[in-house]
Amino acid sequence: MKMGEVDIEATTEPLLKVEDLAVDFHVSGTVQRALQGVSLNLKRGRTLGLVGESGCGKSVTSLSIMRLLPQPPGHYAGGRILLEGRDLLSLPEREMRALRGGRIGMIFQEPMTSLNPVYTCGEQIVESLLVHSGLSSKAAMDRAVELLDLVGLPSPRERAHDYPHQLSGGQRQRVMIALALANDPDLLIADEPTTALDVTIQAQILDLMTDLRERTGAAVLLVTHDLGVVAQTCDDVVVMYAGGVVERAPTNALFADPQHPYTIGLMAAVPRIDATVDRLSTIAGSVPPPWVTLVGCRFASRCPLADDRCRSAVPPLRENGPDHAVACWHAPIEEATI
Amino acid sequence: MSIAEPADLDAPAPSLPWWRRLVHDPAAFVALIVLTIVVLCAILAPLISPHDPYASSRAVMQPPVWSDRGAWLHPLGTDGQGRDILSRIFYGTRLTLLIGLVSVGLGGVLGSLLGLLAAFRPRLDPWVMRLVDVMLSFPAILLGLALVAVFGPGAIPVMIALAIATVPDCARIARSIAVSVMKQEYIEAGRAVGLSDLALFTRYLLRNCISSILIFISLRFGQIILIGAALSFLGLGAKPPQAELGMMAAQGRDFLLFAPHIAVIPSVMIFVIVLAANVLGDALRDVLDPRLRS
Repeated sequence: MKMGEVDIEATTEPLLKVEDLAVDFHVSGTVQRALQGVSLNLKRGRTLGLVGESGCGKSVTSLSIMRLLPQPPGHYAGGRILLEGRDLLSLPEREMRALRGGRIGMIFQEPMTSLNPVYTCGEQIVESLLVHSGLSSKAAMDRAVELLDLVGLPSPRERAHDYPHQLSGGQRQRVMIALALANDPDLLIADEPTTALDVTIQAQILDLMTDLRERTGAAVLLVTHDLGVVAQTCDDVVVMYAGGVVERAPTNALFADPQHPYTIGLMAAVPRIDATVDRLSTIAGSVPPPWVTLVGCRFASRCPLADDRCRSAVPPLRENGPDHAVACWHAPIEEATI
Repeated sequence: MSIAEPADLDAPAPSLPWWRRLVHDPAAFVALIVLTIVVLCAILAPLISPHDPYASSRAVMQPPVWSDRGAWLHPLGTDGQGRDILSRIFYGTRLTLLIGLVSVGLGGVLGSLLGLLAAFRPRLDPWVMRLVDVMLSFPAILLGLALVAVFGPGAIPVMIALAIATVPDCARIARSIAVSVMKQEYIEAGRAVGLSDLALFTRYLLRNCISSILIFISLRFGQIILIGAALSFLGLGAKPPQAELGMMAAQGRDFLLFAPHIAVIPSVMIFVIVLAANVLGDALRDVLDPRLRS
């Protein structure tokens, strides 16, 4: 686990830099803002966790980086997504297509439905290899078997000839990872890669991803709603709420000293193995629906500390410690005050 | 599916080619043989017909060989004008199959492409589907009448009319299947791998829809033959001395009470062709869709 270590690569320029990303959805004549001012940095060899509850914009962010957001109804309303300084939002579609599956690999949430059912696992990896590299189909098949071996599928040569429906969920997710890694990507986006799997398989898949990141040196953007997964695998965390970033910190700093009332509420809602609790706490209320135009802080309607300033002005994301930024007027907050 | 997995690990992978698996299905095997025989009869009609299908003889309304008054000279008897029914069945099958195949083929391909395109490019969807609605509002019979008014009666206007009549149904079916396929995560995953739109369209969308479309087309083939027969009956299709199964059945209708074989034999032929096509279509779907392999 790399948590807390300061390695050399941490000082280099980030591989992926998202600046002030704003995304709108045009739904039946109205414009709904799905993302507002999302910024994040991801360096080579690191894992960044993107956490938040359903509908907070995690998946929209990861799809935006791949530029896979359906347009319409999606619309990039502002900001930049820089991969080594190149703005992905202004790339022509052809160049973007070369990046997808090439330098950026993506793992999806549902291993049961994310593989094309009419082709064998091997054929699908070969397809990706042929699109991005000049391999012959024979060499591509050998490479596909090699990849299936790398992700820990037993007897990979036989499995390469299996159709997705012949594999279990965990095996399919391994195939998805092999597919995402096919062309040695610099950036791996994993959108809830373990949500659809049972717990023991989850642990195996997370270990595999950590292991592969260390071997390939790729940066990983891990989208999840599971704080346990974040603690286990991520170096840094970005907490999102209602389409915006509320807190950004190294993993250990976030877990040791959460600063945003939302993060504090999330932490309190997770059962802990070292404490006996009768009732788990919850965060009162629910996420504001996207068609509501927010005036002040996006969390104000559910925040126990909210005052007039919170309801009238948007708190900026301010550095509040080493690499620890919070978007809250009341930060720093002692946990006991909530 | 996961329960069956331990067995799967030991069992040899089902790697039989699709046509081998097709003939392993007894119903499909029979249907395949029947259709092969029918198609061969149609192709070889000039060689195997015992008589000229257009030549009348004095033996009018002679019953088939298995009835008391039958004779081997005309194994299936003769029709109201003394023409040999067996020969006319061969020639009629030829024309009927041709009309069915050409119109279902043309209409099916065009309709499927329109439907898939509408699902693949949501921006085109309203335009394509309104076009389809306009086509749908013309009954095939009316369209046939209009085309015959322009080109004169014959097989080709009928084929065009039937093809046009197939397009909207096929487009609607293809679109509804394709819309649900487009919602599957593997389409997005295919994009995330960097596939071009063409590869995504053919290898992901079309390939996942084709088995269901094939079923529809094979069922439609039967319907088309029946509509084609109806058009012939109205005098829009094959011109009278020509043999066409639907028209033969229609002509036999006048003698149904005292010489039923004249209408029944071509009807049985239509029934056999349509049934075999449907059974084969079903089996093809099972064989082509890897998820349905047991």
